[in-house]
Amino acid sequence: MSSRIGPNGPVDRFVLANGLQVLLAPQPRAVTTSVWVWYRVGSKNEWPGVTGASHWVEHMMFNGSPKFPKGTMDRAIMETGGYLNAFTDVDFTAYLTTVPADHLMVPLEIEADRMTRAKMTAEEVERERAIVLSEREGNENWPEFRAEEELYALAFRHHPYRWDPLGYPEDIRSLQADALASYYRRFYGTRNATLVVSGRLDRSLLRRRVGELFSPLPEGGDDPTVHATEPRQTGERRTQLTGPGTTPFFYMGFRAPAVLEESVPAVLLLDILLGGESRVFSASVWGRSTDHPSARLYRRLVEPGLAVRATSEFRPRAYPGLFTISAQCARGVSLNRVERALLAELERIAARGPTESEMREIREKVRQAALLAYEGPTRTAFRLGYFALLGRPGFEEALLRRVLSTSAGEVREAAEALFPGDSRCVVRYEVTGGSRGE
Amino acid sequence: MESDPRSPLQLERGSLDDGTELVRQPTPAGSESFSLTYLAPAGWGYDGRKRGLALLASELVVTGGGKRDRAELARELDRHGATLTSEVHPESAEVTLWGPAEHFVPLLPLLADSVLRPRWDPGEVGRLRRRVAERQMRERSQPDQCAEKALYRRIFSEGHPYRETGLGTPRTVPSITRPDLERFHRRHYTCRGTMVATCREPLPRLEKLLSAAFRGHDSVPAPTSPKIPPPVRPSPEVTRLMVPGGSQVELRVGGASIPRADPGYPAAFLANELLGGRSILSRVFQSLREKRGLVYHASSELEAMLWGGYWVVEAGTRPSQVEEAQKLLLAEIGAVAEEAPPTSELDRIRESAIGSTWLELETTATAHEIAVDAAYHHLPEDFYRTWPTRLRAVTPRQVAEGARQAIDLTRSAVVVAGPLGANSVG
Repeated sequence: MSSRIGPNGPVDRFVLANGLQVLLAPQPRAVTTSVWVWYRVGSKNEWPGVTGASHWVEHMMFNGSPKFPKGTMDRAIMETGGYLNAFTDVDFTAYLTTVPADHLMVPLEIEADRMTRAKMTAEEVERERAIVLSEREGNENWPEFRAEEELYALAFRHHPYRWDPLGYPEDIRSLQADALASYYRRFYGTRNATLVVSGRLDRSLLRRRVGELFSPLPEGGDDPTVHATEPRQTGERRTQLTGPGTTPFFYMGFRAPAVLEESVPAVLLLDILLGGESRVFSASVWGRSTDHPSARLYRRLVEPGLAVRATSEFRPRAYPGLFTISAQCARGVSLNRVERALLAELERIAARGPTESEMREIREKVRQAALLAYEGPTRTAFRLGYFALLGRPGFEEALLRRVLSTSAGEVREAAEALFPGDSRCVVRYEVTGGSRGE
Repeated sequence: MESDPRSPLQLERGSLDDGTELVRQPTPAGSESFSLTYLAPAGWGYDGRKRGLALLASELVVTGGGKRDRAELARELDRHGATLTSEVHPESAEVTLWGPAEHFVPLLPLLADSVLRPRWDPGEVGRLRRRVAERQMRERSQPDQCAEKALYRRIFSEGHPYRETGLGTPRTVPSITRPDLERFHRRHYTCRGTMVATCREPLPRLEKLLSAAFRGHDSVPAPTSPKIPPPVRPSPEVTRLMVPGGSQVELRVGGASIPRADPGYPAAFLANELLGGRSILSRVFQSLREKRGLVYHASSELEAMLWGGYWVVEAGTRPSQVEEAQKLLLAEIGAVAEEAPPTSELDRIRESAIGSTWLELETTATAHEIAVDAAYHHLPEDFYRTWPTRLRAVTPRQVAEGARQAIDLTRSAVVVAGPLGANSVG
């Protein structure tokens, strides 16, 4: 089965003398241009006491730099009608701006100015502390956030995937401005950054301008490689949370391979077989999170009325992470019953694997999703940057080819390796109380 | 009206053989997908006593049609790399097919069968009822949803469609029967709705293709709009909802507003953008987050619809800061109406709003939203091309007038919901 993936047209890839990687993907007929800067720095590079620093730095990057005093950065983009944002992951942090194509130079100037010179004054760090805490507290209103955070804390005892990129509230309250600035100076530098520009652009003009803006930056950025390895799990781990909510639910995690490991294609297919969503090869950024009636979890848990929703998720990480499964009980159905049904299904897949017709369907789903994965400059810049950070050159195309040639037997073997009970982590959420008016 | 000659927005209008209205927007350059929406007068404003009926109908429509049950429909969509989704609003329902442009023709029967020949499979009805029951519980346990629901109840009287969220109640949803669904479908989906297409096919070919696919559409007269009771004047006290367990209190301030067809809409639109609709450029964001660090999110929206409208300003903060955040929100809302904004501020907001239209044209899905909006509100073909000119004609004084008319603090209600403690709003 053949497929293709990638932007329409060639991508210019080059590295400046200071180590900055640059990818330019012209789309001559686009009406916008998207500029992304990816840093190989995320919560994986933090340590206890400094958790949440990558995310906090992300906030500080909007609080001013030499040429763009506080408030002017956002304004410069927004006044063009453009959009800017950023997000922090466990493995990376990304800054994105999409503007009407005529205004391409504005985000480039901002990114060059703040890459190594973002302002981290004590006063601004202090002011941002309350906002970062507020963002975390907003998430805490969601039982699903609490459960997922608990799952990673349960699964990782040593590796920094243990904490959420938002960090522990205690660390956010205590981290000092000089420690945050030191974290920023240590990791944010040209060697750890990848600049991606996609959309309507003049290639030679842009190459020149990128050189003018970014070449003067000093070479910098400590190696963000994580050397900690999570010790092998030797028995099931399980915990229970209680709190307000709708119906009970659980999050289950299994040890998953890192992005460059051989078994990744089979595990990606296993995720689609179970949950139905093609996440890495998708026409949207991370899939649609909707119902997939032909998926196994839907057929075994939702269709018979045990659960109102059930899904799986495998996002390949730089280091071994988790393959997660979550299910929310239908009213009146116990967690035990849903969990038993799920485990029976996982045993069945590990024993018998998918059918050939299921394999045909999920491969076709991947092939079709890949065809539309690069629609628009923003999505194009996202994918180019994501794969540049996590993979090797040509990795995405190679991964797609391997996914499409993976056999049912390989998916079964992946399930057998993934789902043994002694590597399982389970967080169950039981509902208490409710709301009352005053 | 002067139009922007560079604008790639090229809405065209046509019709199907049976008279169904058609709005077409070409796919953005470089895009290889299409979107096609059937827009039906099938919102929850037509629920009557069976609250939740419109929601059930719209969600069931995409679970199979004609000879295809849910699994067969899902497999066929997957085979083409397509999706079929539905959304329901107070006034209308949208059923949208999205997929690769080259599969446009073979996918049309899937939309036609779903819209015209839904199956009302009892298994699907049961599953949907269970899911709706869970969503109803979420409206009672999640602070943001609790606050919104309570706000709508404060600003709209009994019987007003905007008072509801469409989910019905634990009593009404189980009482909805198959004959109820069939009756609703006949009245609200087989009448002449509107087709909206963002695709490569030129208008004449599109008209032929859709006429053929939707042949047999047994058109019934369009339903008459329900009687809309006038909005109420909310009492001044703050509604406080204790929702335990979370860390943050959600604040909502809002009131009834103008419909989209109101001539004052451009000024009201800019007033809302200034207040909280334009993210970091907006006043509530600057005041509550940037200056005082009280919140992570603070924004406003103006929902100007067919039968009326409403505005909502929202923010989330910790329990000990609710009072301060509430005072600041109310002050900013009042200030937009009291005083004309400085020209420089208005210009910034206005040019940002105009420029952002280009971002809507990045992908088929985003461009399609503009086309659906135009169809829904029966906007003229040149509406978006002339929109910049109309916005640029609005004066600062008109923005303040627009705010007084559309974001009226004297007819607003305040709701807070979350882990309220002793130090929270009195």
